[in-house]
Amino acid sequence: MCFKNLPVEFDERGQPFLRGGIPNPYAASTAPANVPLQLSAAQVEELVRRNGHIQSVDFDPVTRVAGALAFHAVADLKERRVLEARSVATLFRGYEVIMVGRDPRDAIYITSRACGVCGGVHSTCSALAIEMAIDCVPPPLGILVRNLALALEFLYDHPLHLHLLAGPDYSAAIVEPTNPSLFARAKKTEARHAAVHGYPTMAALMEDLNPLTGKLYVEALHMTRVAREAYVLICGKYPHPQTIVPGGMSSTITPTVMNEMYLRLSQFFDYSKKISCIWDDITDFFFEANPAYRQVGQRRANMIDTGIFDHPDHYDATYRNAAAWGDHRWATPGAVVDGKLVTTDLHTLNIGIEEFVEHSYYEEWTGSGQKQRFAGDPTGKPLSPYHPWNKITKPRPEGQNWKEKYTWDTAPRWDRLGMEAGCYARLWNTAVAQKLPANPFIESTGHSLKVRVPKGALPEMDLEWHVPDVWNAFERNRARAHCVAFTAMVALNNWLAVMDRMKDGDRRTSTPFEIPKTGERRGVGFWSAGRGYLTHHLVLDRGAVANYQIVTPSTWNASPTDRWGQPGPYEEAVINTPLLEETDDPKEFRGIDVLRAIRSFDPCMPCTTHIHSDAGVVTREVNTCACGVED
Amino acid sequence: MRVLVGIVGYRNLRDFSAPFAILEQLEATPPGQDVLLEDVSYNPIAVVQWLESEPPDARFGRVVFVAAVGRGRPAGTVTSWRWDAVLPSDADVQQAVAEAVTGIISLENTLVIAGYFKALPSEVVVVEIEPLDHAFGAEMSPDVQAAIEPACARVLELAQRRDALQQLPPLPLPRRDYQKTGGRW
Repeated sequence: MCFKNLPVEFDERGQPFLRGGIPNPYAASTAPANVPLQLSAAQVEELVRRNGHIQSVDFDPVTRVAGALAFHAVADLKERRVLEARSVATLFRGYEVIMVGRDPRDAIYITSRACGVCGGVHSTCSALAIEMAIDCVPPPLGILVRNLALALEFLYDHPLHLHLLAGPDYSAAIVEPTNPSLFARAKKTEARHAAVHGYPTMAALMEDLNPLTGKLYVEALHMTRVAREAYVLICGKYPHPQTIVPGGMSSTITPTVMNEMYLRLSQFFDYSKKISCIWDDITDFFFEANPAYRQVGQRRANMIDTGIFDHPDHYDATYRNAAAWGDHRWATPGAVVDGKLVTTDLHTLNIGIEEFVEHSYYEEWTGSGQKQRFAGDPTGKPLSPYHPWNKITKPRPEGQNWKEKYTWDTAPRWDRLGMEAGCYARLWNTAVAQKLPANPFIESTGHSLKVRVPKGALPEMDLEWHVPDVWNAFERNRARAHCVAFTAMVALNNWLAVMDRMKDGDRRTSTPFEIPKTGERRGVGFWSAGRGYLTHHLVLDRGAVANYQIVTPSTWNASPTDRWGQPGPYEEAVINTPLLEETDDPKEFRGIDVLRAIRSFDPCMPCTTHIHSDAGVVTREVNTCACGVED
Repeated sequence: MRVLVGIVGYRNLRDFSAPFAILEQLEATPPGQDVLLEDVSYNPIAVVQWLESEPPDARFGRVVFVAAVGRGRPAGTVTSWRWDAVLPSDADVQQAVAEAVTGIISLENTLVIAGYFKALPSEVVVVEIEPLDHAFGAEMSPDVQAAIEPACARVLELAQRRDALQQLPPLPLPRRDYQKTGGRW
């Protein structure tokens, strides 16, 4: 039984149904069992009042993340642990409000603006939702080219996270002042994969992770250009593509385009070998130097991913067959609970999703007088009133304090559990499920993912990512690094498939369509960003958008504590983080362990830009933490 | 000497899109083969990479950036200043890079990042137009609309007259945005 908290059971055919005899099956009073709880604001206030060594530590803004994120923590500097953690999305996103009443095709261009990195994934997710709602199936080449486009976008995103945003946390410039003994050890420690990445010692590797001047930092800037150049060959421009349409892609695909793309894609062969080895070495070095680093950013291995990269023989754009085509994706959908993969079924994933706003600047949309729009999904499986298809976005920035509301993010939960999203969920599901299409480059073993990367300047190499025993900040980054090779090989598989089709004369990349002007229709885009999980839930009414709900990876990860006291993933990871920084002076405390925990998730909040408010349009973040706004 | 006139802004943001109106007007009467008119309203790292890809013997000798910047002056005020090329702290440069690669378009970041990576010539000038209306839409407020013509004239003067910069004292980057990291990294 995959649901432990929602009252959903499965019959002998595997069809879910609501357990009988429960008057209000989705009552918010039904708390999840065996979950960590955050101390209440009153308990923390009392601790701070009685203990001088317990202090507030605020990061506002959290730098080196995408967009407007602030973080409030209360730390016991004597016991070197965090007592309370609150994640604050400081700006309203509002795309759900902007979309209502529009032609659904606008979503492709408008929701792309939700992010300055992964506009393409939002465009694609919109296209998927629309094509499901209007029954439009892309041709095989359209599916393959779409896969390529998004893989290339991820090849921009992964180096960016690894060496521009999170990487500096492990650089000499930061490790030496915060943990001098660790850096002294790094000088004497040989790097295991020196033959691949070229750094004889860990200290030498850390020097090149230095921001601005380190060779790895500068190289990552260059690699983002390589990926971008390949991407614009088929998407027109970056980050907001011009060629994504419901029913495929409007790109013109020629052998020249494909060759130009390969020239760039092949540069990621050696780069991915190097990156995987670098992050294997970093992770192993920290764990061996001090096993307590395994607790930095540690939390339950609860994660969710919708899968991505469709197979042209299986994808038919219908909700009805989503479970079947989802199983044939290059990245398998799935939910992992306490380290166990509990489902790979897109329907089961979908019906388990709920969003709560107890501590968010929104008004409840359920309750007396409110009618639940959909009792079930399009196949009759039960849906919660808190499900995105039933959600109504009602901004209400009132009650700003830790007891009431403190963020613009909502609290998405799956089976009422705090799940995290990331490309590591993609690796985890794919490694364990063993449902990969047959191919020469990627193999899932049930406990690991093996990636064979072709020869470049470096020889052909077999890389292997193992499902880790403990889930923490270092493993997030290590998995992200292995995701470079995984993504490059997904791209190569799809590149080869496109070439095969072109040999047979296939050039058709899209299916013509019209938006029906009658009736009510539903669609959902199950897709992923480089950072993981992405869904767009769409309701069309007589050809116009009646409801549009976006859940991004950072909606999950940055979510606040929920109504039952269960912290969001950033919060939980920070609460579990030991303060290993080598200082006894509170004035010198820089919070590097907390920052490593937060940044390992690759926070992405720029969905908050370009938002209309009474004060005008915000084109750049304003960081205003709710710290100290207690009433 | 090759001169780049680069506009930085957001489209469909009323007065904040004034640089695009300036660009369109300048393009209607091209100012000569030594002056390149270009929209550089994108990731400043990509701007740097583009500038670096110019052949060494054809690099720009002067860059004129054009942007709408709100500083509390009367709407439509057109000002110009020469950047003294003094960079903020490394922490702030790093934050500017983080913003750039994650999608923020801003004049300050373009200056700082291009300056840091030595992609700019020694002559860098900024022409600012003071906006009033900060909302979605294509139309500008009357004062800003009326300032497009004089702004174009000023841009052309700075782009075409070799001695135009002599009248401009070098000024530091406005501090408005560059105290944001609080010394943290």
